[in-house]
Amino acid sequence: MTFEVPSGCKIMVEAAIRFLSLANQLAATTRRVRMKFEEGDTGTMGYLNRMGFFDHLAPEVEVFPSRPGYSAAEAHRGGNAALVEIARISKDERDEDLPTRLTAALMRSCHTRADAAELEGAAWTIFAELIDNVFSHSSTLLDGYAALQVYPKGDRLSVAVSDSGLGIMQTLRPTIGNEFPRLTGLSDTQLLVEIFRQGLSRHGPDRGCGLKGSAAKAIKFQAVLDVRLPRQRVVLLPARGAYKVNTADCYDGLPLMWGTHIGFGFKLGG
Amino acid sequence: MNEDVRVLALREIMDRPEGWGRAQGREVYQRLLGSVEENTGTLVFKISMKDVKRVDISFASETVVEIARRYRGSKGFCLIDLTDPDLIENWDAAAARKGQPLLVWEGRTGRLIGAEPTQGCREAFQFALRHPTVRAAEFAESKSDMTIANASMKFKQLWEQGFLLRRESAANSGGVEFVYQRVG
Repeated sequence: MTFEVPSGCKIMVEAAIRFLSLANQLAATTRRVRMKFEEGDTGTMGYLNRMGFFDHLAPEVEVFPSRPGYSAAEAHRGGNAALVEIARISKDERDEDLPTRLTAALMRSCHTRADAAELEGAAWTIFAELIDNVFSHSSTLLDGYAALQVYPKGDRLSVAVSDSGLGIMQTLRPTIGNEFPRLTGLSDTQLLVEIFRQGLSRHGPDRGCGLKGSAAKAIKFQAVLDVRLPRQRVVLLPARGAYKVNTADCYDGLPLMWGTHIGFGFKLGG
Repeated sequence: MNEDVRVLALREIMDRPEGWGRAQGREVYQRLLGSVEENTGTLVFKISMKDVKRVDISFASETVVEIARRYRGSKGFCLIDLTDPDLIENWDAAAARKGQPLLVWEGRTGRLIGAEPTQGCREAFQFALRHPTVRAAEFAESKSDMTIANASMKFKQLWEQGFLLRRESAANSGGVEFVYQRVG
């Protein structure tokens, strides 16, 4: 399988970690994977390198013109306030400081904002809950990834967490009949909205508050919530302080990509 | 040791100032449970949030909210030294999810988070919150249209749902009556 990244192609941070997860999934299933960067390391490849993309990319993936000779992420660590390296989420080496480190990186570029404290609290909770979800639910040997980026004008923030597990719908669907019988007739999109609105978990009605709470924090910043599932993508747009089915964009029948890939796109006014 | 109220510093049983995730929460829960079991005579545990920088909803759910639910009706747990709105929001979300009421005390003011009393019991709860201890008869006396039986029923419900504690006491009539107590 070959991925071609043409000249001028910009890859957002949430797309970058999805791309990384997908390439590693394909490599783990013994597919031959190639990435071709038309501009070489002066373009997107350089940007991805700075993020640490190639540090996490399975060594069997072939990169053209060639893998970067050194890790720009390592060379610049901490030097770029607006872009954070991709952080690995590994079950075997649980990094207890990860949400705090990611949030601290965010605050390097956002600490002067009037709503800095609220943003810091929201980002930390979202990272903590999403990363914990990867540990608790994803059932995979492959690593997950987290990343964030504040865009240059300072008016947008992307927070993304990606794992290569079974996918939230695959783990929840089989238990719906027992745990939430009233929801059995819902479509995947409707169910996904309810995961973030009511909080649903395969472990029963006591649980599921993490994703619900994350969404409640994000919605205060009018965040767009973008979820990629194995065959679908659902983009939830905030409407009057809530995520609703009728304001969701859905894409079905997409190429198979395992896992749950969640991105929050914050609007940072001012 | 027999002591009605005891302060437990959550930070002292956490590994770091930030608590997140279910796994960490379960570890801290075991330590919390150990502290509670060591103090069998204690009725109310004030859990101090001093030096706790952050907790996420999952951690909150597995620790204080879970222990409050476990001991509902027999021991009370409330939060003190907690003013950060973001943290309060997380404790509130975790407690609401498990249908557990929690009081957050700031000085002498108690703020209820998590589960809320039913509309019929709201006034009885507010009455109990204003007094260290209350009897059903006192609440009934304070209102013109309330019988003692009705007041008793409301307090009993509040006790069963974890809003109040209670203990038996000798009534003036010679029988037994319940004295209800707010948590903290």
